[in-house]
Amino acid sequence: MESQETILSASGQIPHACADHTSPPAISIRGLTKQYGPLTALNDLNLDIDPGEVFGFLGLNGAGKTTTIRLLLDLLRPTSGQAFIFGYDCRMAGLDARARIGYLPGELGLYLDLTGLETLDFLAGLNRQPMDKRHRQELCDRLELPQSDLRRRLREYSSGMKRKLGIIQAFQTNPPLLILDEPTEGLDPLMQESFYGLLSDVKRGGATVFMSSHVLSEVERVCDRIALLRKGEMVLLSSVQESRRLAPRRVRVLFSEDVSAYPDLPPGHELTEKAPRLWRLTVTGPLGPLLALLAGLPVEDMELEEARLEDVVLKYYREEAS
Amino acid sequence: MSGALPLFRLSLKRVWKLLCATGLLLAVVQALRVRIAAEVHDTGQFAQLSAILPQAVREILGPSLASIMSFNGIVIAVYFDTGFIIALLALAITLATLPASEIETGFADLILARPLSRHWLITRTIALVLFSILLMLLMIMAGTWAGLALCAPPDAPWPTARQTAPLALTLGMLVASWSGIAMALGAAYRRGAASGTTGLLAFAALLLDWAHRLWPPLDYIAWLSPFFYFNPYELVAGGALQVENLLVLWAIAMTGFIAAYFIISQRDISR
Repeated sequence: MESQETILSASGQIPHACADHTSPPAISIRGLTKQYGPLTALNDLNLDIDPGEVFGFLGLNGAGKTTTIRLLLDLLRPTSGQAFIFGYDCRMAGLDARARIGYLPGELGLYLDLTGLETLDFLAGLNRQPMDKRHRQELCDRLELPQSDLRRRLREYSSGMKRKLGIIQAFQTNPPLLILDEPTEGLDPLMQESFYGLLSDVKRGGATVFMSSHVLSEVERVCDRIALLRKGEMVLLSSVQESRRLAPRRVRVLFSEDVSAYPDLPPGHELTEKAPRLWRLTVTGPLGPLLALLAGLPVEDMELEEARLEDVVLKYYREEAS
Repeated sequence: MSGALPLFRLSLKRVWKLLCATGLLLAVVQALRVRIAAEVHDTGQFAQLSAILPQAVREILGPSLASIMSFNGIVIAVYFDTGFIIALLALAITLATLPASEIETGFADLILARPLSRHWLITRTIALVLFSILLMLLMIMAGTWAGLALCAPPDAPWPTARQTAPLALTLGMLVASWSGIAMALGAAYRRGAASGTTGLLAFAALLLDWAHRLWPPLDYIAWLSPFFYFNPYELVAGGALQVENLLVLWAIAMTGFIAAYFIISQRDISR
């Protein structure tokens, strides 16, 4: 599967990356477009997500992430194109598609006069699959939402508690596909850790996760693959590992003596700071040429910072902003 | 279907207090009306009361005035009392625009992200509105019965079921017709806009209906008002129930319900 991962523009052909070619992708999107009058919120999106994959959906505000999610849930109707959940057309067989989804919206719309327990019971009752109360209890324990809190009305909940409730309602029926819009928004760092543990468990259990997020470190940590949307178009589709390979690495070189020479740097190398005994560089590609260059200099120490997904994604973000 | 029952239960649970409060208020006010009617009957002041009515009201009531200005007439006038009609319409509009509220708050996202068809938002609302109308009419009847049992003068005849049932049915149909209009608007627009527009339309339609009774040249547009098909005065005067009028009111309600189904099935669910 790794070898099939690739980076290409949204207009490119998306390889079908399903490891098990007999089962349909968890999510399959074909030419999905959504226009609001003259505004194109999403343009010709093509994407396949394998069962068992944790997929990060990135983009600045208004890039089209939530629009895509709402199209998958048939809350929005596409201008053109189709989307499938485990082979079920999100529009024509929407009930079958949504029977396999646990959804956490970015902004939870809850009735504040209900208690947490009433809300969870009601939402579980709308699902086809039965809810295992022990499983729900386990979720509540992990996210530290005790029964005493569940019996309180939602108007007394903090935003973090509402987020926990949102996560529990999405996970409580053990759906094979989780669609999570900014899942850790409003969670404290400890709860974020619990949530990552939860994600890791559902992944082990074979569930697929499709999540949008602004937190790049989170995406880097939990996702297998990412897609990046820019103004409604997909500009990056890649595995997290592959993305890192594209990122420039930061190198810090300390010299034992002053170095006054300005070397001709190989392509892909950029000197960002130059002091007599300190160089800071960014290196895109292999490190061999840099090592060869440094061989004749009085190097005392060298630090290499691991490439970060953030650097790649921020580059796209900056391009969009400019 | 399995998901629809929890949806109906939850909606009922959330509006239960509103229904109980409104129903009790209507019942108590009706019981008080019966008591006042009994006092007027005991003092024999119906003729004086009739004489001080403004000319416009006398013209609107027409030949039914004599029937209304009696103990029995005052008791059954609850079914066309403007205050009661406004209360019932306000309740019906509030309930009929429930889907708009659910979409605005984002609660509809959580509901419709599950294997539940969109039409259940409307089907549930229709069931809730019709149930509420029935409940309010029953509460008014209960208030009437309680008032009669406690205060009715021994020599005054009680309203019969043959008098009451057509009046209640006509009022129920009128409220259902405005529910349909509110539901159609609520399926397309925000709750505030839908309920405000329906309220204004109802007020304008009521004024039009009164105006045409006083000024016949307005007859050519009076048929546009659902109140045109609401003729309780003829029933009080002993006239027969006009089934055609009931059908028109029901047709308005059904048209609104169908429009709501269509709109909700086509639109984007977004705040």
